[in-house]
Amino acid sequence: MTCHDARELFSVLVDEVLGADERGALDAHLETCADCRRELQRFRDTVGLLRAVEPARAPAGFVDRVLEAARPTPWPRRWLRALFLPWPLKLPIEAAAIVLVTVGVVYVFRATPELQRAARLESTKPAVTEAPRAAISEPSSPATPPDRARERQYMEKKIAATPPAARNEAEQRAAGLKDASRDVDKRQDIDKQKEASRPTPRTESQVAGKKVEAPPARAEREAGAAKESARLPAAPAPESRADALQAQRPATGSTAAKSLAPPDVSGGLAVSDRDAALRGLAQLLARLGGVENRRVDGHEGPIIELTIPREAYAEFAGELARLGRWQPTIEPAALPAQIRVVLRITR
Amino acid sequence: MEGRIGDDSHLVDRLRQGDPRAFEDLVIAYQHRVFGVALRMLGSQAEAEDLAQEVFVRVHGAVAGFRGDAKLSTWLYTIASRLCLNRLASSDRRMIREGEETLTRLASSHASPAAELERSELEAALHRAIAELPEERRIVVVLRDLEGLSYEEIAAVLELELGTVRSRLHRARMDLREKLERFLP
Repeated sequence: MTCHDARELFSVLVDEVLGADERGALDAHLETCADCRRELQRFRDTVGLLRAVEPARAPAGFVDRVLEAARPTPWPRRWLRALFLPWPLKLPIEAAAIVLVTVGVVYVFRATPELQRAARLESTKPAVTEAPRAAISEPSSPATPPDRARERQYMEKKIAATPPAARNEAEQRAAGLKDASRDVDKRQDIDKQKEASRPTPRTESQVAGKKVEAPPARAEREAGAAKESARLPAAPAPESRADALQAQRPATGSTAAKSLAPPDVSGGLAVSDRDAALRGLAQLLARLGGVENRRVDGHEGPIIELTIPREAYAEFAGELARLGRWQPTIEPAALPAQIRVVLRITR
Repeated sequence: MEGRIGDDSHLVDRLRQGDPRAFEDLVIAYQHRVFGVALRMLGSQAEAEDLAQEVFVRVHGAVAGFRGDAKLSTWLYTIASRLCLNRLASSDRRMIREGEETLTRLASSHASPAAELERSELEAALHRAIAELPEERRIVVVLRDLEGLSYEEIAAVLELELGTVRSRLHRARMDLREKLERFLP
């Protein structure tokens, strides 16, 4: 036996599982080989070191953690796992659930009129809220000139996008609605209160540098306009931007817009004989194709709103000067086809 | 050495009869041995505990089908050894087990801070030397010299020929003898 062969048997020798024949041969070699005896001793010492290693101990609480981990899963969880874990089952069930929820939502929506109305209101909200604000703010709010200019530009854009026929139809419909007129009266009352508590608003003529005494006449005029607004005739088809703006007011909002809109021309007519002046005015209107829209009794005298064709306005103004002292407070250069005039007849 | 495991026939009977306390007794009886194999093989206390817990959970799930052909201890070591070798074979595990820190942690896993300071260089070198063995040799030397299994049991646990067990054990011991040369008398 060689030293190599002898050392290959060291493990089985140390573990005492060496066969009798091999044991005899190894013993014979070791008796004659000091190196192998020394090597065997070092081998035994190495194994002795290994076997002297302190046994490992599981950490505290290990048994409890194992028992917890090995505890049987509760039956509901097992049932859920069995139902949902295999994806061939899970996916169709999830898809069916999504479809059911969707169908349920649609059914509830269709079966609930309130929801549908709310949805419609949501979709039309911007158009409904913006038009009245623009129409109402023009006559009553103390908006600054740049604000008015912006509102006018906005209205003009809206008019350009609206067919004239549709605007007229909307205007007639608005004029005929009693509910709308009631709303107008309420709103007008509010506006009147605001007007009374607010500092004197600046008129367009003041903005242009003219000094006028518009506020009292204006308040009366608007009060009268509000009461009569529902009976106002439909505005003719617009022929210019200004006309279109006038026609747009009732079409985009309600009759309140029309009643609150300022007249194209307003002013005071100081007369010595009021009855004679009223008769003369009636004849003048009949001759020139004008129409008296309404009449309100003011503090100083009657306030009359009338409509007169543009081509007859120059003659109308001239005749007014004959009836008395005509002092226009609003008389713009560009006039619409049908001019709305408000006269304050005073002594 | 084999006497450490003892006679498990009564415990096996209780397990097969569904005695609810039997599994707890099994865990109590084998927790340190299973944990020890995992710790020597993996080198990390946390990882060893995780693996040992997995061993017992698997045993719990399969104990009803345990036929008793092999000793209960052999069955447990078989599961533990396989799980250890599988985990070591994973690429993630290979990175973890490198380095001195892991070996030091292994060596001091049960020592107090004071005892840890007094730990002999020999003991640390021993654990380092074991940890540096190739896995197939390490598991054999752990099962034989640290856990005290016989050659036949090791062959059964690792499903190896007896000659392969002898050979791997001898190679492992020879490696350790060289690594521990300066500590030998």
